[in-house]
Amino acid sequence: MTRADRILIILVVCALPFLYARMWTGNTSAAYIQIQAGNNKPVTEELSADRTLHIHGPLGDSIIAVSHGRARFVSSPCRGQVCVQTGWLQTTGDLAACLPNRISLALLGQHPRFDTINF
Amino acid sequence: MYRALLFSLLLPVIFLTGCSNTGTVFKDRFFAFGTLIEVSIYGVDPALATRASAQIEQDFLTMHSNWHAWQPGALSTTNEQLTTMQPFTPDPSVLPLLQEAGRLSQLSNGLFNPAIGNLIALWGFHDNALPAGTLPDTAAITTLVEQAPDANDVTLTGTQLVNHNPAVSYDLGAFAKGYAIDRAIERLREFGIQNAIINAGGDLRAIGQHGDRPWRIGIRHPRQNTILASLEIDGDTSVFTSGDYERFFEVDGKRYHHIIDPRSGYPADKTTSVTVIHDNAATADAATTALFVAGPDDWVEIARNMHIGLVMLISADDIIYMSPAMQSRIRIEQDTAVEIRLSEPLS
Repeated sequence: MTRADRILIILVVCALPFLYARMWTGNTSAAYIQIQAGNNKPVTEELSADRTLHIHGPLGDSIIAVSHGRARFVSSPCRGQVCVQTGWLQTTGDLAACLPNRISLALLGQHPRFDTINF
Repeated sequence: MYRALLFSLLLPVIFLTGCSNTGTVFKDRFFAFGTLIEVSIYGVDPALATRASAQIEQDFLTMHSNWHAWQPGALSTTNEQLTTMQPFTPDPSVLPLLQEAGRLSQLSNGLFNPAIGNLIALWGFHDNALPAGTLPDTAAITTLVEQAPDANDVTLTGTQLVNHNPAVSYDLGAFAKGYAIDRAIERLREFGIQNAIINAGGDLRAIGQHGDRPWRIGIRHPRQNTILASLEIDGDTSVFTSGDYERFFEVDGKRYHHIIDPRSGYPADKTTSVTVIHDNAATADAATTALFVAGPDDWVEIARNMHIGLVMLISADDIIYMSPAMQSRIRIEQDTAVEIRLSEPLS
């Protein structure tokens, strides 16, 4: 066994757990938030910085909180408040929408566990 | 020997990297049909996917305009013409829809009833905005229930409709979305797209697969912001859920939701949600409503009548009723124990 062989074996052994986690278990934590108001082009921003966003819709402003890599509707000028009751979105592929105010939030990342959600 | 060892270590690395799914999925979302539509397309040129999605958005807007019972369009005009009780020829865009809705209504023993538009309006669920939260007049509900509007009250001769019950008013809210999804899938295929999902407000139809793996679908819990179950789709399958959480208002702590039992005139109260898996979205859409109304006692009979084999019903007391075929098809994702009651096979 040459020195190069030994280095290669070490590298391969070290890479296996990383590759398994990366390729098979999937890192479902989200990196971006995508906000769409009406049928305008969606805006995609990083999730890393905590902040509060005011997004204007036909009924008024929906307020969205971004905190610790999560996002949620804090308030919205709709009657049903389904969007607010959805709570925190935290994994890639999570989606919430205020239909009356025509605003949607989606979390994006590299490895969504599901391609879409039925509800 | 060392080389053999090195090779055996490299094999899983090659395997792991080779099987990863790094293919690109085109995603587009737009508001139409009173909900949020999500289009997912795998493995085609982004320019083609963009064109196809734009066409589907336009199609959904047109279909919504044609088929909305309470906004100016072909269906609302049809409803106006029905009140004359005279023969008339409806707009061609609504006739096949009404025929299919009538057929499914008959199979469901009238539990999916597209002719109870007046009852839906009485509860205030006809508008995109939720009702203000006041209960309708009891006498008005009783009157409409006694008039028993039914799709069979409208007869078709050639291309002419005649209404025989003045209480009939079509509202296709429990059916048109599924029908529209079927049309959207047809449109995608016209573009040569074979791997895609159309998800309209949580109800979906998936065709093909995601590269070298099936599409992965999560089914959300009706009462929690978690995934209740999951399934994989490789081919052509619709997954529809109707629940009491979608559109509702509360009076004195009691929930009044949008799925009205045509027999009582009140929201069906024995069910929390129903999920149906079927190859046709329109059928799945009508079936979820019918089975929701049927409830834990009668869902098996109605599912058999409608030729639905895969059903999951969650009752108001949190018991999961399921057909054996559904149990084989999905994977329950909840860690906490759930009570599951299996039916006899449905077919």
